[in-house]
Amino acid sequence: MIVEIGHFALILAFVLSLIQSVVPIWGALRHDQRLMAVAPPVSAMMFLLVGVSFAALMMAYVTSDFSVLNVVQNSHSAKPDLFKITGVWGNHEGSLLLWVLILVLFGALVAALGRNIPPELKAATLGVQGWVTAAFLLFMLATSNPFIRVTPPPMEGQDLNPILQDIGLAIHPPLLYVGYVGFSITFSFAIAALILGRVDAAWARWVRPWTLLAWLFLTLGIAMGSYWAYYELGWGGYWFWDPVENASFMPWLAGTALLHSAIVMEKRGALKVWTVLLAILTFSLSLLGTFLVRSGVLTSVHAFATDPARGTFILGILVVFIGGSLALYAWRAPLLKQGGLFAPVSREGALVLNNLLLTVSAAAVFVGTLYPLALEAVTGEKISVGPPFFNMTFGPLMIPLLLAMPFGPLLAWKRGDIYAVSQRLYMAFGLTLLATLLVVWFQGPQQILAALGIGVGVWVIAGAVAEILSRARFGHVGVSTGLRRLVGLPSSAWGAAFGHIGIGVVMLGIVAVEAFQVEKVLTIRPNETVTIADYELAFGGLVRRTGPNYIDDVGHFDIFKGGVKVAEADPAKRLYTARRMPTTEAGIVTFGLSQIYVSIGEVHSDGGADIRLYHKPFVTLIWFGCLIMGFGAVLSLFDRRLRVGAPRPARVRAIPAE
Amino acid sequence: MLVMMIWIVFSVLAVAAALSVLVPLTRSGRGQRESGAYDVEVYKAQLGEVDRDLDRGLISEEAAEAARTEIARRLIAADTAEADVGEAKEGGAAARTSSRAGLRFAQILAVIAVPLGAIGLYTSIGSPDLPDQPLVARLEAPVLNRSLPDLVARVEQRLAEEPSDGRGWDVIAPAYMRLGRAADAAAAYAAAIRILGSTVRRETDRGEALVIANNGIVGVDAREAFERAVALDPSAIKPRFFLALALTQENRKEDAVAAWTALLDDAQGGEAWAEAVRVELAKLGVEAPPPVAAAPGPSQDEIAAAAQMNAEDRSEMIRGMVDRLDTRLSEEGGTADEWLRLMRAVAVLGDADRLRDTATRAEEALKSDPAAVAQVKSLARDLGGGS
Repeated sequence: MIVEIGHFALILAFVLSLIQSVVPIWGALRHDQRLMAVAPPVSAMMFLLVGVSFAALMMAYVTSDFSVLNVVQNSHSAKPDLFKITGVWGNHEGSLLLWVLILVLFGALVAALGRNIPPELKAATLGVQGWVTAAFLLFMLATSNPFIRVTPPPMEGQDLNPILQDIGLAIHPPLLYVGYVGFSITFSFAIAALILGRVDAAWARWVRPWTLLAWLFLTLGIAMGSYWAYYELGWGGYWFWDPVENASFMPWLAGTALLHSAIVMEKRGALKVWTVLLAILTFSLSLLGTFLVRSGVLTSVHAFATDPARGTFILGILVVFIGGSLALYAWRAPLLKQGGLFAPVSREGALVLNNLLLTVSAAAVFVGTLYPLALEAVTGEKISVGPPFFNMTFGPLMIPLLLAMPFGPLLAWKRGDIYAVSQRLYMAFGLTLLATLLVVWFQGPQQILAALGIGVGVWVIAGAVAEILSRARFGHVGVSTGLRRLVGLPSSAWGAAFGHIGIGVVMLGIVAVEAFQVEKVLTIRPNETVTIADYELAFGGLVRRTGPNYIDDVGHFDIFKGGVKVAEADPAKRLYTARRMPTTEAGIVTFGLSQIYVSIGEVHSDGGADIRLYHKPFVTLIWFGCLIMGFGAVLSLFDRRLRVGAPRPARVRAIPAE
Repeated sequence: MLVMMIWIVFSVLAVAAALSVLVPLTRSGRGQRESGAYDVEVYKAQLGEVDRDLDRGLISEEAAEAARTEIARRLIAADTAEADVGEAKEGGAAARTSSRAGLRFAQILAVIAVPLGAIGLYTSIGSPDLPDQPLVARLEAPVLNRSLPDLVARVEQRLAEEPSDGRGWDVIAPAYMRLGRAADAAAAYAAAIRILGSTVRRETDRGEALVIANNGIVGVDAREAFERAVALDPSAIKPRFFLALALTQENRKEDAVAAWTALLDDAQGGEAWAEAVRVELAKLGVEAPPPVAAAPGPSQDEIAAAAQMNAEDRSEMIRGMVDRLDTRLSEEGGTADEWLRLMRAVAVLGDADRLRDTATRAEEALKSDPAAVAQVKSLARDLGGGS
């Protein structure tokens, strides 16, 4: 009965979303208070209904109700309880349901929290949210219904893809989805502004928390996915330029651009039309990302055709939403009032440069991801666009971005003075030079590229610190007042600094691993030792262990440094019995910021094993950096003010005024 | 009862959903401000923000002044726009009232379309009369109400906890056979034999399960099982039947004929298996002695598994199996043993041309292994001599 209640609730939510799509927007256009008032309670009701539906499906998973097809296909009674729950969104249908749940949750939050938002904007925004909800619910009900029943029910399920039976799965997709769906709110705000033909004064202020929230979760989701791939796939890589990764990376790049252009819009009233376009593009890329991953088009273009109903539907949704919103933009954007002039060298100008580089790099990733698919679909020729392409396109775009990064926040609004800013960055530049020289000194001149890369990382970090310190103006006001000023800085200023520091830290991690990591691939027998970097690993042999739904061949390594045992690692080769699918569980030991990484390949009959062994210096910085960025976003979220960017006065003074 | 319950729950949900649309529609519209008014408020708040920033020393006096000027400019623009809109609205009352029709439409939509639409859609894709079937409840349901797969699952669960329960294995093995899970049945019989000891019946049934799992071919382990059964009871019919079948499949014609004939000698008359033996003998080109006494039809209770199949069915099944093996070996290659097995199987079909062809291909595929080629050659000679 619970399963059927879930099914009915989902259908009811769909019907409501149709009403939500029409009535509030109609009301907004007619300025009819009562029609507009429908939006908030319907948003709340839809959240309730989809919540019931999600709970019902989860119940079916937890109780192993194999009369539900989705449970049969993706669960197994022997699976640990945690993975029974995470299995709900470990498959196509369930993950769509989670997507919609987050979508309606955000709609309900806008309805509940957006009391200051003008009613027309709020109603139209929720109405557009209704379109997205309706499209997804229709897609689910028509082609991907998680509540299809089986009778008579089989006694056992087919188990979840073992790679997905991991704590990483419990966290990774929900984070990504909150990110993707968060951008749906900014999209809805943008479309609402286009429909109403006006951008309200505080439009960017209302959009800000949603952009930040979406960006925060997307950042964490990507970082989590990267770490998950790192320890689960057994290759020791943290980023593969894999289409699935790119699918989440493109909205991240566009979203980062949006985050910055929205600052200009909020503080200065400029770049309105561009920000609206970015909001549309960001969500379009989120949609594309969701569907690229969900349609199976990535494994092969032909997988798309195996379920024509699903494929066509997905294509339809993409065309309607992306094409429709861009058409609406072309038609209505000229109505929006442009505002705020600024000189090329100014904070606004720097943010435009940021936007330019970020959107172009998003385009590069887009081409690299979709070109092979398009080519295969049209000519049937299979090509693979790998890391070299992305390193050649994405890398050169990132370098000017990172180099320019410290300048941006120091430039004054409206018109800036690049010379004065350079003076304030001399300390940061000195540190950069020092770091570069130190690396060359210790690692030799053949590592000059690595040294420069580390220099760029240090430059970004030092630049962000310099910016925060210069705001405190220790030189002018003394230490104690300076500290007080530092504490009194708006949390968004701290947020921006942490965001930039995070990027620098990620950069340091990437360069260190790429340049200095040591890799060994070898066959090892019990009681043999192998040396890597400063560490010795003694192989204690393999033991077979039985888990709830898998068999493990666990290798044991004692790790010594200078003859003293410092750690143990237990990498495993795991076989999931229900699907007869092997996975690797890497043994990872962290020393400070660096890691030793062991993964087991082939196991030999004499008790030996092929292993991949890495020493990865400073690798954890990659993910720490992402956490720092996330922390920055959280700080910014706490800044609830209406922010104003005070421009630099037109008269040029001898001493910079800010 | 349950179906009633579910419709009550559905109604409650549908009514709640309809109310979420209807209630805001029936409330009277409160005094509404124009969007322009919101802008004016925002700009005023921004002015306050500039003052606060100045107080905290975040911006200089000059910058604050410049910011105030800018905001004031926007404020004035917004004020003017609002006034314009306000004037336009004076004559807009008619438009406001004419939305009454729209309101009525929305109300009807809420009351009728929401519940009817949802229920209509649900009845076409939902399954209201299917109850939930959580696994635990299914496993705990009384035995009488349960299907064979459910029972098997329950015993499986017990055996997972208590693998040394021999009786459990004894019970589950025939159930597996009935479900067509022959390989599982063979494993279950093996466990029962290991724990409870070897009996004629267990050995024979295990052998039979192995044969069925092996697509009708009597493999080495199956043959050994039948041999152990015969050792325990030399007069047992079923294991001897399978052993004779093994000889036939191995193309040891004389031995096979002897084994089949010995079986027939033990026939009392009228047994179903005796008929099957005659068919086998006929295939070997031997005239079987006539039935001892024609009984009024075979007794259904005695039908042995092998006899359930008539000769045509069996050779059909073997042919299918041979074709599959052949395809796999020619496409993916295989071990020497697999090629030899294929040759024996082809020989059973009695197709000499195909046997020669298979032998040639086997030699080709195994040419890197001289020992295997020799084996193929010798087997081809043996089989060829027999056919």
